Amino acid sequence: MLRSDQIMATVEMVHKENLDVRTVTMGINLLDCRVGSAEETCNAVEEKIKKSAGTFVETCDEIAEKYGIPVVNKRISVTPAAMVGAGFSRKEFVELALSLDKAAKDVGVDILGGFTAHVEKGMTNTDQEFIEAIPEALASTERLCASINVGSSQKGINMDAVAQLGKTVKELAEQTADSGGFGAAKFVVFCNQPGDNPFMAGAIHGVEEAEVVLNVGVSGPGVIARSLEKTIREKGKSNLTLDDIAEEIKQITFRVTRCGELIGRQVSKELGVEFGVVDLSLAPTPEVGDSVGEILQILGVDDIGAPGSTAIVAMLNDAVKKGGIFASKTVGGLSGAFIPVMEDAVLADAVGKGALTIEKLEAMTCVCSVGLDMVPIPGDVTADTIAAIIADEMALGMINNKTTAARLIPVPGKKAGEQVSFGGLFGESPIMEVRNMGKSARFIAWGGRIPAPIHSFKN
Amino acid sequence: MSKQLVISVMSKDRPGIIADITTVIFNLGGDLADLNQSVLGGYFSMILIAEFDDSVTVEDVFAGFSHIQSGTKIEAAIMEMDVTLEIEKKNLPIETYVVTAKAVNRKGLVKVMGDFFYSRNINVLDLTTTRDSDAYTMIFQIDLSKIDSVKRFRRDLQAMGEQEQLNLVLQHNDIYRATHEISGSMGTVQQ
Repeated sequence: MLRSDQIMATVEMVHKENLDVRTVTMGINLLDCRVGSAEETCNAVEEKIKKSAGTFVETCDEIAEKYGIPVVNKRISVTPAAMVGAGFSRKEFVELALSLDKAAKDVGVDILGGFTAHVEKGMTNTDQEFIEAIPEALASTERLCASINVGSSQKGINMDAVAQLGKTVKELAEQTADSGGFGAAKFVVFCNQPGDNPFMAGAIHGVEEAEVVLNVGVSGPGVIARSLEKTIREKGKSNLTLDDIAEEIKQITFRVTRCGELIGRQVSKELGVEFGVVDLSLAPTPEVGDSVGEILQILGVDDIGAPGSTAIVAMLNDAVKKGGIFASKTVGGLSGAFIPVMEDAVLADAVGKGALTIEKLEAMTCVCSVGLDMVPIPGDVTADTIAAIIADEMALGMINNKTTAARLIPVPGKKAGEQVSFGGLFGESPIMEVRNMGKSARFIAWGGRIPAPIHSFKN
Repeated sequence: MSKQLVISVMSKDRPGIIADITTVIFNLGGDLADLNQSVLGGYFSMILIAEFDDSVTVEDVFAGFSHIQSGTKIEAAIMEMDVTLEIEKKNLPIETYVVTAKAVNRKGLVKVMGDFFYSRNINVLDLTTTRDSDAYTMIFQIDLSKIDSVKRFRRDLQAMGEQEQLNLVLQHNDIYRATHEISGSMGTVQQ
């Protein structure tokens, strides 16, 4: 039998520190659904999702009950829809979006990701139609999430697409103005988008993946925050240094990751589908005590955005990876700490105090996953400026060989400092100020591509 | 021909007890098959299974123990088995769960738990308890492979816990193995 203290430590993690499995996401290949007309394709998509995921939610719940570990979110990702609907018109892509939304509802998942195109080097005619369909597609669906990959370390950044997406984000927010521009919260622009990320809004089932795959996202930052508080309380702050803290984070992450992988593998075994990866990302929720920002405060900055914030995020992100990679057979996805402003109460609070600016947030995304995430900005920010913010974030990913993303929400009719709330997991925050607005139009007007960086030429 | 003896030994703990006992067994030509030992409250306790030649008697082993030179008395019980004992398999049943129970210390806590398991024909595979001032903690490793529904068992357990003022947590044993053992891949953690 295991040692009593080990058993009690795990009991504490589950019941006092709220250890859970943040998401189990089923990736489904839909390439074989492209048959005949758009209507026939949509029917095939609905059938395939129903066939693959009919018992998915129920099985996750059964395994969670068996092991006594909650599986918080059950989601689906699919093959990028621009490929599934090759040759579709804008209108037909909206039909496909409705079918995906219906399929998600039918199998009982709250979010489905993969309304996606990859255009980092160029856009096909289909991609063009697809991007034009995004505002209406997201405004008329409930559970669908969309993403576009506009850059990669291999191919550079497609600035034509970036310029267009600046307008798409604006239009998306305006079409969903009644809900504060919520449509933009379901849309994310990527550089180096992974094909096995289980977290939304950017989850897709990459074309390199098997027919059906299960990917798992581990427990949130709350477990790490509570455990660090306990260690500091028991050992005394004066007896610890940052390397001790990093070691503690590694050890907690090891346990959290093992737990996530155990549950994920049992679900995949039960469903008879391949297990994909464990994504080590620390994904905060608006709930008190489930915040990445709180970890930064525990580690010594009074407000997020204060000098030192980037260094702490770097250490946290690295320690999480080290603990998780040792724990798991297959790590993948985004695997880093998320800093989504609206979804993290401590980050949102720092915005309200004026401590956290977009510029500092951007700096922090250089050392963690995933980018400028859930950032509410004033509704009057121009499409050019939005495109330029996206371009900056994409450049960080391209040059640093990492995934970066931008999920910007220009809240219609609201100004910096005003509050926006989407409720639930999407959270709330004061709107962030965008400085130097309207000063990037000449840059965005160039179009074309930012060439791939020199270090991409390794052949 | 050989025989199997089950030997149980208890003594006040001191350095050299294992050496003394195994020397007696070695000198009688015994071959250790399995052994389990622990120290509780300063008392040493050990149970072992050893194979001996047919010519060795239980009395020979007792005599060996009585010749151990020590200030602490060694109490022993020895049984000869008439059937070959199955040495305990290292693999736990697949549906092994751990119940942790915490309560303010009072008489009868272990009995409450033991009765609960017994009434459901559940085998306790291992048990450790600790008392820390007023707090009493019990950790039961149990085999749930013969019950119909873990969900119902969990509900019954919680109801009993509320009634008896016990803080009870039921988790699958694999969770503890996964979070504390480095060896063993996730796909085979139950083996």
